[in-house]
Amino acid sequence: MDAPHRPEQPTTAPTNTPWPPPTGGPTPRPGRRWPWGVLVLLLAAVAVGAALVALNQRGVAAEWRERALALEEQRDEATAANEVLRERFDEALAVLELSEQDVAALEERLRQLGGEIAQVQDEATTIRVERDVLVDVASEVRRAVDALDVCITQLFDLLGDSVAAYNAAAAGEFVDVDPLNAAARSTTAFCNEARSAAARAATAADQLLRR
Amino acid sequence: MTAVGRTVASLAAGAILVAGCVEPPPPLSEVPIEDAADIEVPTPAAESVRRQAQEITVRIRALGCERFSIGSGFVLPGGVIATNRHVIEQPREITVNTWDGRTISATVSGMAMDTDLALVEVATDVTLPAADVRTAPVEVGEPVLAVGYPGGGPATITTGRVLGLGRATVLGESSEVIRIDAPIEPGNSGGPVLDAQGRVIGVVFALETDRGWGLAVPAQALLERIEEAAFAPPTGDC
Repeated sequence: MDAPHRPEQPTTAPTNTPWPPPTGGPTPRPGRRWPWGVLVLLLAAVAVGAALVALNQRGVAAEWRERALALEEQRDEATAANEVLRERFDEALAVLELSEQDVAALEERLRQLGGEIAQVQDEATTIRVERDVLVDVASEVRRAVDALDVCITQLFDLLGDSVAAYNAAAAGEFVDVDPLNAAARSTTAFCNEARSAAARAATAADQLLRR
Repeated sequence: MTAVGRTVASLAAGAILVAGCVEPPPPLSEVPIEDAADIEVPTPAAESVRRQAQEITVRIRALGCERFSIGSGFVLPGGVIATNRHVIEQPREITVNTWDGRTISATVSGMAMDTDLALVEVATDVTLPAADVRTAPVEVGEPVLAVGYPGGGPATITTGRVLGLGRATVLGESSEVIRIDAPIEPGNSGGPVLDAQGRVIGVVFALETDRGWGLAVPAQALLERIEEAAFAPPTGDC
């Protein structure tokens, strides 16, 4: 069932009903709006500030660009110096390798020389021993030669005395043969010693020749 | 947008601008980069002039008819050894000692008749480092090295300078000689005189005892006689 229809009541213009006055304080103006001037000023201030910041940042950007260039130059210099250092290092490495090879070759030669020195020392010892034997042989020979020399002298003396005694006896003179006999015995004994000395020298020489 | 909204938006924009600001770069610190080109790599001993001078110089011992002589010599390209004639005259037996202690038999290849030079040959299977002989003229005042075996002892290297180029009597004949003030002693005869680069410029043959100066036959004279084949074979036995 529908609601009862009520005839539309005519609308009437609203009447201005004054606000009741506030208690205390001035009366606000009706319909106050945000001041456009302040907003414009604020916007202008922001714009100016932004412009100043932009200018400043432009300068900062230029400084950073210069810094980048300077750092690039430093990097290039460092790279070039690094290359030179690398070349010097390679040169030093090559020199070190050559020196090591040289040291190794010299060490090897040193070892060989050590062996050669030992061999020469052995030969020197052998020569020293042979020299000692030669000295002994020479001494023996010297003694034998001296003894034989005296023996020969005594033999010549005995021969002379014997010839003189023979001539005296042949002339009918009395000849005392006892001194001659004594001289003969003495000479024989001495010459036998000389022959022994000569035999010893010969034996020593044979030993040396057999080495 | 309301006025408040616009104000807030403006303030926010300003705040964003300020927040996005970049600080200027700090002061650039100087990084010292040393000049690496000044770094000197030392010359290894194996390649030094002194080592090369030692390697090319030999000690010569010659047993002659009535004497035993000791001198020095140096190896030429081709394995021939140059020395003085008076070191190997009338030789019956010649031995050569190298810088590293090897002993090698040798024979006389030839002797110059007009100057105190001679050539000695070693066995063909022996390899010896050869000297570099300089052909450019010698200059007065240039530094020299004299290498040899004075007294038959260990090798010595003495330094000095060229005092002059003149003439002196060599084996009875007037010849060009180089005078040096590097200390020379008996036994240095036949040894090389080298320039600062290790090239042979002369052959020591005498010592002026009154002044202590050494005399050397110019290397040019040696090369000329080799080219002209002016070395005669040695005479017979004693």
